[in-house]
Amino acid sequence: MNDRALLAINDIAKAFRGTPVLNGVDLELRSGEMLAVVGENGSGKSTLLKIIVGLLEPDAGAFRIQGTMGYCPQESLVFENLTVRENFQFFGKAYGLTDWRERSVRLLERFQFAQYADYLISKVSGGTRQKLNLCLALMHDPDVLILDEPYSGFDWETYLHFWGLTEELLERGRGLLIVSHLIYDHDQFSAVHELVDGVLRCD
Amino acid sequence: MRLSYVATGALMTVRELLRNRVVLIMLFVIPSVFYTLVALTTPDRPIAFKLASVSEDTFVSVSQKSESLVFIGLAAVGFLTSFVAMTLIRRDVDVNRRLVVCGYRPSELVVSKLAVLVGVILVVALFVSTALLVFFRPDHFALTAVGLILVGWVYGAYGLLVGALFRRELEAVLFIALLANIDAGWLQNPIYYADAQNTEIIRALPAYFPSQVSMVAAFSDHPVTIPVLASIGYGLSLLVLALIVHRWRMPAFRG
Repeated sequence: MNDRALLAINDIAKAFRGTPVLNGVDLELRSGEMLAVVGENGSGKSTLLKIIVGLLEPDAGAFRIQGTMGYCPQESLVFENLTVRENFQFFGKAYGLTDWRERSVRLLERFQFAQYADYLISKVSGGTRQKLNLCLALMHDPDVLILDEPYSGFDWETYLHFWGLTEELLERGRGLLIVSHLIYDHDQFSAVHELVDGVLRCD
Repeated sequence: MRLSYVATGALMTVRELLRNRVVLIMLFVIPSVFYTLVALTTPDRPIAFKLASVSEDTFVSVSQKSESLVFIGLAAVGFLTSFVAMTLIRRDVDVNRRLVVCGYRPSELVVSKLAVLVGVILVVALFVSTALLVFFRPDHFALTAVGLILVGWVYGAYGLLVGALFRRELEAVLFIALLANIDAGWLQNPIYYADAQNTEIIRALPAYFPSQVSMVAAFSDHPVTIPVLASIGYGLSLLVLALIVHRWRMPAFRG
């Protein structure tokens, strides 16, 4: 299961106004692996993550992804004036899913927020937004799931659901990359990399 | 471009817009208040002004109240459509970037917003045109309404450009208020234009051609083909600029 590289980053470099932030980052995420990237505030984690998901272009280096990618941002990036179900519909369209209804029902039940399906996001709790935020990254069953600071955004219930889900995803050969300033449960990860001086060091 | 993606984007944008009740009400209240204020404060005496787009010596003499009503109608449509356009392109910009990362093309999102904007322009311009009939009947009502649609088109495109250009809302609001106020709300009034210096500056502003369409059509039998085409071209130029800036600000889909 561990022989397929789902995500390969080679020698990625990025500087802002002449100040280098990433100085040749290498990372490989294989099928069935869960990696963590940790670092102090300002170490370049967000820059690296933005480059991986496509929100920023690197100055140098190569990037390759095998299969589909799901991205769960730290903040709940969902449409405030749409309902939970309409958000699923909109993102389902973005992923090109024709069965977005069935997929959304499964996720709504799994994360136990089906009762809020027809509520506007502006009327639901922060916890429900976080569940939706995560589910929108999961709804197309991506090969690679990238999570930005999940610990700071998830409530306890979502946190428990999340760990239950990660086991299932890893068993199915998916790859998970968690970017955070702090990592708990080190033994759950295949490897923990620390971003220091613009390069990744494996603990 | 995938049409079903544009349709879904437009559907969601309409749903969001319809849920913003205050904005919907303001789209109808603001022109009504503008018309009422003009009707209550402007005298009915005849006034002569120049039809600038016809020739430098073509003057018409009409009721000052009627002229002011057409002018304020144009200003109202310009203000409203530029603000709606700016809001449409700026709102949820980070969520839209996430949608692009997930597979939407920036062009599909912006075209879906443009489709909704065109709908808003038509609704507002037709309401403002129809409300004009409460006070007087323009010589060529349909063409007067076309001028109101065109000021919405040009200022809607300007609103999109400003919304795409500025990262913070305050700057965008100020840029819209500044230009709409001085252009559609002041310099394009033919009464002011008649004695203005450096009229080439006034002619270069966004509301000039649409204002000329409505003014010429409302108070004369002169053709309006040139200002209609110029308005369409002016709006298209702003729109292309807005699309370029918007595309530049959006991420690329990684797959």
